[in-house]
Amino acid sequence: MITKDKEKVQETTVVGKRLNRLDGPDKVTGKFVYGADLDASGILHCKVFRSSIPHGRIKRLDISKALAYPGVRAIMTAKDIPAHIRYGHTLKDEVVFARDYVRYYGEAIAALAADTREIAEKALNLIEIEYEPLPVITDPEEALKPGAPLLHPDWKEYTGNPALIRYDNVCTHASIDLGDVEKAFEEADYVFEDRYTSQMAHQGYLEARAGMAHVEADGTVVITSSTQNPFGLLGNLSEILQLPTSKIRVISTGVGGGFGGKLDLGVEHFVALLARKTGRQVKYLWDREEEMKAAAPREGSVIYVKTGIMKDGTIIARQGKVILDAGAYSGDDTVIASVAALVIRGSYNIPNVKVDSLAVYTNKANCGAYRGPGAPQTYYAIESHLDKIAEKLNFDRVELRKQNALKNGDLGPTGQILESVSMEETITKVVEKIEMDQPRPKYTGRGLSCAIWTSAGGSSCAYVQLNDDGTVVLITGGKEIGTGAITMGVAQIVAEELGLDITDVRLVTGDTHATPFDFGAQGGRTTFNVGNAAQIAAQDVKWQVLQAASEKMNIPLESLELQNKKVYDKDNPTTNISLAEIAADRVWNGGPILGRGSFIIQPTEYDTSTIKGGVYPVFNFPSFHTHAAEVEVDPDTGEVTVTRYVAAQDVGFAINPTGAEGQITGGVVQGIGYALSEEIIYKDGFVLNPNMTDYKMPTIMDVPRIETILVESSSKVGPYGAKGVGEAPIILPAAAIANAVADAIGVHIHDLPITAEKVLKAIKQKQDK
Amino acid sequence: MTKVPLPLKVNGSDYYVEIEPHRTLLDVLREDLGFTGTKESCREGECGVCTVSLDNKTINSCLLPAVAARGKEIITVEGIAASEELHPIQKAFVDCHGLQCGFCTPGFIMSAKALLDENENPTEEEIRSYLAGNLCRCTGYNGIVDAVKQAASELRKLNKV
Ligand code: FES
Ligand code: FES
Repeated sequence: MITKDKEKVQETTVVGKRLNRLDGPDKVTGKFVYGADLDASGILHCKVFRSSIPHGRIKRLDISKALAYPGVRAIMTAKDIPAHIRYGHTLKDEVVFARDYVRYYGEAIAALAADTREIAEKALNLIEIEYEPLPVITDPEEALKPGAPLLHPDWKEYTGNPALIRYDNVCTHASIDLGDVEKAFEEADYVFEDRYTSQMAHQGYLEARAGMAHVEADGTVVITSSTQNPFGLLGNLSEILQLPTSKIRVISTGVGGGFGGKLDLGVEHFVALLARKTGRQVKYLWDREEEMKAAAPREGSVIYVKTGIMKDGTIIARQGKVILDAGAYSGDDTVIASVAALVIRGSYNIPNVKVDSLAVYTNKANCGAYRGPGAPQTYYAIESHLDKIAEKLNFDRVELRKQNALKNGDLGPTGQILESVSMEETITKVVEKIEMDQPRPKYTGRGLSCAIWTSAGGSSCAYVQLNDDGTVVLITGGKEIGTGAITMGVAQIVAEELGLDITDVRLVTGDTHATPFDFGAQGGRTTFNVGNAAQIAAQDVKWQVLQAASEKMNIPLESLELQNKKVYDKDNPTTNISLAEIAADRVWNGGPILGRGSFIIQPTEYDTSTIKGGVYPVFNFPSFHTHAAEVEVDPDTGEVTVTRYVAAQDVGFAINPTGAEGQITGGVVQGIGYALSEEIIYKDGFVLNPNMTDYKMPTIMDVPRIETILVESSSKVGPYGAKGVGEAPIILPAAAIANAVADAIGVHIHDLPITAEKVLKAIKQKQDK
Repeated sequence: MTKVPLPLKVNGSDYYVEIEPHRTLLDVLREDLGFTGTKESCREGECGVCTVSLDNKTINSCLLPAVAARGKEIITVEGIAASEELHPIQKAFVDCHGLQCGFCTPGFIMSAKALLDENENPTEEEIRSYLAGNLCRCTGYNGIVDAVKQAASELRKLNKV
């Protein structure tokens, strides 16, 4: 179901259509090449030796036996890396190999390269290590207490983005201060407070991280991996390899799912270092255990939320404290803390807001970006809290949301002026579709959640090369990671601009030496940003085509139009020349036609006095969302079954409605897993479930058919009015499901995931009362 | 370790390898024979990306020692289309947006084929229950169910002719 902006009527032939993705045939025949499929003759296999304890001093590390094992070609440890080298996303606190201390279970200590995967695995067991165990901090609230042992005693020496506010075990403290929250709490008729906690969760991509590297004669290191962000790796690689960025080439191969987990270094630095040491090509494929112990999962968190509300339902104050369990190094949580701070106010026009959002070091794997970073847990907290308020004050939970919903011209949490706001429309449509008010059987419940979300900015470039047969090649540093952003969205934009079929567009993507810059497949930005760059490049081609045709046909440019792969004289359509003919002619006369597009989002204006320590201070071209879940709870087992799920998303303009819906259905199901079952379980710093058997992702049997509603409230800057699409679908399911479960059993559960045990316990406690 | 000789029949052709007896069919298909369409993920029978057909039954090739496939007919995703054209199941996955990253797709296609060989007109519930051993992290499964339905109806038409 799609609803369109009334005023906006666009005559398009390719964008807006439900076309098949370009990489489909390769993927269904097994021809598509992923990082895990990379191979070459004489390749060496890398394995990484990882810490078997969560915190300790390395007393002895002996690699001699492993090195002597036949077929082992090299082993590297901290000794091979200059001591000053630390790297990171926003804060450089991470080391390639643990030096003297290990800070989490699974931290890399050594990497080796061997003739076969089996030899590599065997040699790993021959590395000898002795630790002196140190106290383990696993609770971020403990880590915040005065006198808590410091995980990074040298934190002051680390360098990073100067905007970050840091102290003790806190690697980021972002805060928002809008209006006067103290005064508003005094004036409020009611004030409510709650505390919520959430778990660590893995992106769950099925292709483990993989990549390989070799070194060219001049020292250039060439890395091929399943990264989502080839250009984004160059900075850290340059520090680690001590090479200028131009002497590192990162090529992104097919990506078997990323969801943010393949944005930062995983395999690349290890294979690069070993390739340089051995002079050979080296490959590294992670195993599942490594994925669960040492990847870049969503952080666990503790969230306090406090709300001041008037008798008539107007929310006048919101305060929040977000404590992110960043893990042993800051990872991406330096940025995520800011994002969570923006989210605390939710999609409501609350005039007085105060947020403190902290990322805190603990002895766990460091956390990274996972689709909608910082948001699912924060929306879970604030939307559950809102339902509790509605219950206590006897407000209708739908009306309460509508009454306070953001509208056009309202201010965002840091003072930006909001445009093209469709909040209320998404609520109305979802409520209608899920039949919120229909009577429900016992132990069945419905729940609602609402959100505002961002799309990452940054710059993108694209070339469009016109081939001599009239087709084109789109060349961009952007990367298709499965979403369809490029193989549907951007390809459709290029085809639309040039009057081609989508199948006339070939793609060359994600290679730092062969394709122009892009800021990476992250933050729902690819269709938006690469799409804009490609649109400019295609328009450039069109202009050059018309100019060439004008010269050739001797007709003024204004009288010409490009349609159906031909340039026509508008006044006399029988006079025309094919695109292929112009293209072929230009190869020898005047020079081949190449279009060029470079695009950057102008930063959104906001009130800089409202936010401190924030490195993600404002929502970019925000989109609006409402989800609703219907659940059945088994009162004997506590098991929750999602029986219906409806999601309405403002996509601005659906470049490919099927693609947009696919993002929603996929994100929702991932979110259902997060809500109900997925958790990387830590005990005393050890991961108890480093495998897919005990890390439970939803199967096709666990979920209903997801119902989607696309709302199109056009954005000014996105191509054809599009907004970012890919991230948002995951941010609301935990909130909607938590509210549905509470509706079903009459108890609110304050801790994710909402497992059968927790539900059963809640039902029992209620009965005992 | 001593290697054992092993003749294998994959997608209708005969192959001969010498392998260590503990190696899995998945590894031999991918590493020795180059059938990389069959994917590797959990290596413990949980995700289904390694699904292949063995004498018309689907198995997780990560769990099966390759020697156990001796004398049996192995079909992988590379072998299900009769010609250059896509098999109707493959075509349906493309048409119905039954894939995104595509990493789970070969496994789903092999499982869907086994389902449709047994049941030419499965209900949505039957489809879901049959495919429960295959994980997909991208699609949310709507497109996969739709693809199997489209393929079923295509195949019924073809079988009638
Ligand atoms: S790799 Fe065989 S079931 Fe997962
Ligand atoms: S399409 Fe990516 S796992 Fe299914």
